[in-house]
Amino acid sequence: MKKSLGVVLAVAWGMTLSSPAAADLRVFACEPEWAALARDVGGEKIKAFSATHKMQDPHHIRARPSLIAQIRRADLVFCSGADLEVGWLPLLMQRGARSGVQPATTGYLMAADHVPVLEKPAVLDRSLGDLHPGGNPHVHLDPRNLAILANELSRRLIQIDPPNTDYYRKRLELFQREWQSAMDSWQSRVTKLAGLPVIVHHKSYTYLINWIGLKEVTTLEVKPGIPPTASHLNGLLQTARSEKVKAILRTPYDPADASRWLSSKTGVAALTLPYTVDKNAPPGALANLFDRTITLLEQVHAGP
Amino acid sequence: MTTKLIRPMAAIVIAASLAMAPQAMAADAAAMQKLLQEVQALKKSYETRTADLEKKLKQLKASQTKKSAKATARSGSARDIKDNSFNPSIGVILNGRAASFSRGTSEIAGFGVGEEGERGSEGLSLGESELNFSANVDDKFYGSLTAAIVREDGEDKIELEEAYIQTLPGAALPDGARAKAGRAFWTFGYLNEHHSHSDDFADRPLTNRVYLNGSFNDDGAEFSYVLPTDIYAEIGGGVFRGDDFPGGGSVSGLGSWSAFARTGGDIGDNQSWRLGVYTLRSDANSRQSNEETVTFVGESNLYATDVRYTMAPTGNARDQELIFQAELMYRDDDGTYNDTNAGTGTLSYDESSFGWYAQATYKFAPAWRVGARYARLHAADTPAGFAGSALDSQGHDPETYSLMGDWTNSEFGRFRLQYNRENLDKGKADNQFIFQYIMSIGAHGAHAY
Repeated sequence: MKKSLGVVLAVAWGMTLSSPAAADLRVFACEPEWAALARDVGGEKIKAFSATHKMQDPHHIRARPSLIAQIRRADLVFCSGADLEVGWLPLLMQRGARSGVQPATTGYLMAADHVPVLEKPAVLDRSLGDLHPGGNPHVHLDPRNLAILANELSRRLIQIDPPNTDYYRKRLELFQREWQSAMDSWQSRVTKLAGLPVIVHHKSYTYLINWIGLKEVTTLEVKPGIPPTASHLNGLLQTARSEKVKAILRTPYDPADASRWLSSKTGVAALTLPYTVDKNAPPGALANLFDRTITLLEQVHAGP
Repeated sequence: MTTKLIRPMAAIVIAASLAMAPQAMAADAAAMQKLLQEVQALKKSYETRTADLEKKLKQLKASQTKKSAKATARSGSARDIKDNSFNPSIGVILNGRAASFSRGTSEIAGFGVGEEGERGSEGLSLGESELNFSANVDDKFYGSLTAAIVREDGEDKIELEEAYIQTLPGAALPDGARAKAGRAFWTFGYLNEHHSHSDDFADRPLTNRVYLNGSFNDDGAEFSYVLPTDIYAEIGGGVFRGDDFPGGGSVSGLGSWSAFARTGGDIGDNQSWRLGVYTLRSDANSRQSNEETVTFVGESNLYATDVRYTMAPTGNARDQELIFQAELMYRDDDGTYNDTNAGTGTLSYDESSFGWYAQATYKFAPAWRVGARYARLHAADTPAGFAGSALDSQGHDPETYSLMGDWTNSEFGRFRLQYNRENLDKGKADNQFIFQYIMSIGAHGAHAY
């Protein structure tokens, strides 16, 4: 008796909690960059939620209750893929049990499935570090990839929400026009940066480096995901000098100590590039991300 | 294909030439000779040409194979690394420990304790070595089997910890709903549904040892439903065979059932919490404990509530994290107890008891954690006939203080040192040191929150 009342109450409580404004398409983005792209391309017809914020390393996220609740009601799951979220997304998918966003459905969009992926490893062994069998998943730092993904995202939104087809088409056209002109201006700026030798903390900037044509000399991490050690860093002192490295790049979530140490020993600038945008970034944030990144690299290039 | 065509064609031409030969013979022997020679020449020329063509074809094929091999090699490094999705994922947990205890026995005064609820063996030993196989069965089901290889009474035994099937999202059930059947660590409080290798301490707290005999993994089925709400809310329940503690000796094969409700959310960007209430009701036909000297028959109703709070200062739990976790369990036993050791005979028993634990672990560096735990049981009153038996707490409430420190090399390997001070029986303190390693090889699924 008591128990059935409890269940009734629980259900009633659940119903009152569910938001009445369910007209919007809900996009569950694993990282802020995909939430931002969704806002750029989906405009006011979508509501994007980012599971992580810019200070979080997307490799290691807890499958916490709030994320289960979010994925439970998502219409589209938009993530980097290539196993970046392998430690937490499958669990959320299973727990949230939302049918429309499971792998191989329209509502499941993995960025790495749609752009040329770099650094696919030939050999897989855990002794080699935290390898991604699907290649480097940090695909969003090449603006050409974002242009490709904007198209794919728009296509998916139209499939999920056909009545707003015209809206999504116009919105995409607008985005691509602006993005192309932005890319043209970035292109003219980054040609000067080509060949600039840099050291990175983790291979988070591979796509940016590949796009600009920077020279990635080495990583502070011993192996992917294996933190820098004193002996490894000592070995880098010589490399940094002989290769005339101009900057040591890290993301806001990488620990600062290793790059600071190397910077203090060699005089090479330790530079934190933004890597991604704010969790609740307004439309246009992605363009600012590239502007800011290029400006920071230009400053290093110009020298002190 | 080309070779196949050329050969029959050559044969037809030659045969046709030979067929025409007799008419020529009738006319002129010399001409026939000439013709024969011509035919021979023709045959020869076809043979050489065929051989030539075959040679060319072979060369072409060889170069093509080389090219495609090159192409495969290239695509091998750039794509096409297949995972083993079509085979079950296999994971192994290796677990070993060294323990030292200052007290000879670990009986918990006032409670009947099952085998898994005891403190483990002293000295060097392997812990539970787990072997897990799991994979999606098809588009609708997922299956998983976990066997633990344990040493009991000087023999290695296989214990089937889990063997269950579970529905996949979109498998005919409505969104948010899941069903699981078989044997599994069922939903009851925080620790019960987790494998012990993911625990933050080397042993389970008193509540889980006493009320769940380590863990409740009876045969049965469970259903759960995540409500479509902004805040996480999940309800569910299950029916079970009734053989596993707190049930036992099931006759009907349907002796226990459960229900639960959970909610949780975030506080800001870097803090999360979860809260749950649970009940597990069993009709125990014969629940054995204390090495089968204590038997309970009757209704045993368990209620629990758990809370978990995590805080990662930068949002990165891998670098730094504080976890607080507590569970409270209340048990109402209504039936009969019999302690054959104390010779109580079968006496009626209707008492309740409760226990709780609270623990905090703090990861201060990516590889290092420290933790503290306190657990306490509040024994039931001792009915007259049970004086001096295992159920007589002599007014003592068992308690345990624990401290642990562990070092994690990677997410797949960990060493832990733990100190326990257990006061399980009046005036008999047990100082325990446990050193433990836990390693995982092969596939290893993510752990739930």
